[in-house]
Amino acid sequence: MKKSINLIAIICTAIMFIAANAAMAQKAGGPWTVPAKYKAMKTTVKAGDPSINTVGKDLFSKNCKSCHGAKGLGDGPKAANLKTSTGNFSTAKFQANSDGELYYMSFVGRDEMPNFEKKILDEADRWAVIGYIRTLKK
Amino acid sequence: MIMRINAFLLLTLLVSQATAFAQEEATSDTTVQEKPKEKPVRPAFESGLLFDAATTTLYPSKTLEFVIQHRFGVINVNDNNYDMAGIWGTANIRLGLNYSILKNLMVGVGTTKFNKMEDLQLKYRIIEQTRSNSIPVTIVLYEVVGIDGSPDSKWDGTPDAVTTKSYKFGNRMSYFTQLMVSRRFNDQLSLQVGGAFTHYNCVDSVYNHDRVSVSFAGRYKFTPQMSFILSGDFPLDLKNIQDYKKDAASNTVIYDKPNIAAGVEIATSAHAFHIYVASAQGILPQESTMWNKNDFFHGGILIGLNITRLWNF
Repeated sequence: MKKSINLIAIICTAIMFIAANAAMAQKAGGPWTVPAKYKAMKTTVKAGDPSINTVGKDLFSKNCKSCHGAKGLGDGPKAANLKTSTGNFSTAKFQANSDGELYYMSFVGRDEMPNFEKKILDEADRWAVIGYIRTLKK
Repeated sequence: MIMRINAFLLLTLLVSQATAFAQEEATSDTTVQEKPKEKPVRPAFESGLLFDAATTTLYPSKTLEFVIQHRFGVINVNDNNYDMAGIWGTANIRLGLNYSILKNLMVGVGTTKFNKMEDLQLKYRIIEQTRSNSIPVTIVLYEVVGIDGSPDSKWDGTPDAVTTKSYKFGNRMSYFTQLMVSRRFNDQLSLQVGGAFTHYNCVDSVYNHDRVSVSFAGRYKFTPQMSFILSGDFPLDLKNIQDYKKDAASNTVIYDKPNIAAGVEIATSAHAFHIYVASAQGILPQESTMWNKNDFFHGGILIGLNITRLWNF
């Protein structure tokens, strides 16, 4: 009798644990609907521009790293608290997004991804950040 | 006949002039180049606050900033005092809210524990440094109006009061007006100097109402998020604005020590954190300028913490 109660208690605890984890598991963000105006945008900061590894890296560290991680793998310290997965910038699929699409996702944002238009005001600085995100490709 | 010839000649001249102008306009159209718009530099400092003082940094319009400034007690090296680096001693704290109405105008309110000081603040950027260096510095005007929230008895003319005259609301008021000039030299180094005038409406008869001070501040960014920060606010002893001569009472406490602060700043997207040591405990700039007796180089050191948080609307 005692053994059965113990077994039931262990099984119930295990079910509750798994259910809690499943409820907390992050969902991948759905596809982005990027307006045509942004899709057509092209970077003004070419690959290899010095501002990418200075301004771009600095702004990424200050504004993006806490959720997206230092290498954009989605492993920043705040990432675990979010309902939506912060993605992986190193994948070919992510890097296949056009400049304008990356711009929209980074600065206009949606849901848990904040709007950064008032945090990074200068257009060239924004493209330097996108340029830095491009360097995170594996 | 002559009239007709004259009219014809006049008409010819007028038409030829118009043609000549047209040619000039055509020429000027093809060579006019629009002057590229000047870009402002990135902010010299990560935050509008540096220890107790303001920096020349202002946020975009419709930005709300919440400020918590905390100053522990004096780090006491005296064996008779039971303390842990001033953390168990009397602490001062200020809570403030600042709002950027325009990109170059900020207003703020705050409340401070010591003397129950309430304050109203205004920061206005006069000119801004540009990336091309056509304007080499940023110049900002900063004003803090302080209202001492102590009970009326502090000024009601009774034996312990500050003044022999009866209480008036104006006794509570103090003013700190500062002009700051900063330059962002590069991505790592920014420096700032300032001159300020402090006025207290009502002080004890052995003290002066007014004080002029100069300040120096700087930051050196050693990682994208972390900087060393340093500042010094030095009250000046200007005889021609003094209304009291110091040597008349030998046991008067002298409040003329500079407020020196040094520490580290950690900046994120929405926060700035300052961890530092300073010598003044007043927090409000007029309190630090007028009433600091702690000597930074002789044990007058206090640990301080600041936190700011931004919301963009």
